[in-house]
Amino acid sequence: MRGPNTKAFQQGFLKNMIFSLQACSEFCISSSASGGAAMMSLQQRKCAIKSSANIAMATARGGRARWPQAVLASSSSPSRRPSKPSSSPGKKKKNTHVCKKIVRRCLHTRRRWRAGTGASSLARTTSTTTAMIGSREIARRLVRKRTKVLRKMIPGGELLDEISLLHEAVDYVAHLHAQVDVLRRISNAVQRG
Amino acid sequence: MSSGRSSSRGNISEDEINELISKLQALLPSSRRRGSGQASTTKLLKETCSYIKSLHREVDDLSDRLSDLMSTMDHNSPGAEIIRSILRS
Repeated sequence: MRGPNTKAFQQGFLKNMIFSLQACSEFCISSSASGGAAMMSLQQRKCAIKSSANIAMATARGGRARWPQAVLASSSSPSRRPSKPSSSPGKKKKNTHVCKKIVRRCLHTRRRWRAGTGASSLARTTSTTTAMIGSREIARRLVRKRTKVLRKMIPGGELLDEISLLHEAVDYVAHLHAQVDVLRRISNAVQRG
Repeated sequence: MSSGRSSSRGNISEDEINELISKLQALLPSSRRRGSGQASTTKLLKETCSYIKSLHREVDDLSDRLSDLMSTMDHNSPGAEIIRSILRS
């Protein structure tokens, strides 16, 4: 269904990249009046390529995942206001609502869980069971720590609950893989020709 | 898409979680070295994070390389021709 390794995705991605690269080059040509100084600095070109690759990947992906919106939002905000005013504020409001709900739910479950383990550890007095509970708690804390790190890596991941985060991670990793593949092919082709 | 109520969490089965975890594990490069085995969730998450980081780095390196290459050629027909040929293949 939504395979990042499909040819359609890669072609769409390539087309988007070419459009954005052309737009960047046209912009720099138009901004420098004389034709001689039309080359961008290396830094500018690097930034242009990176951002165009991300934008191309996000737009080629379509609307069924969360991370494209986050990528597009973050890339459009430093230059100008987001170009979709009707959709983004509404979605941002929804996202903050969802975020608050998730935070509230997490706090509730954490309190309930702590109360539950407190009662259960009082009831069972054997050292092995308390050690088991301790290791389980440590495992859960580690998982929470790791998911925090994962949330930072995936664009838009801070708003998601754990299940969707896993879905997004699977999706994002597959698409990053495809992006690397396409970029490699482009640079090989340019090097050859 | 994902509702934030606790009742929906009960409907999500262990199987779905396990399926997601195995999908993620299949994507990571380290899974091809070992048999398949059983990875703890924290190790899996750690590997995912480091893999995403390395993919980001690779994208950066490739775009650096591409920008170096593009500086030596014109933004004219040769480059566009190459890219059009990639699209066709």
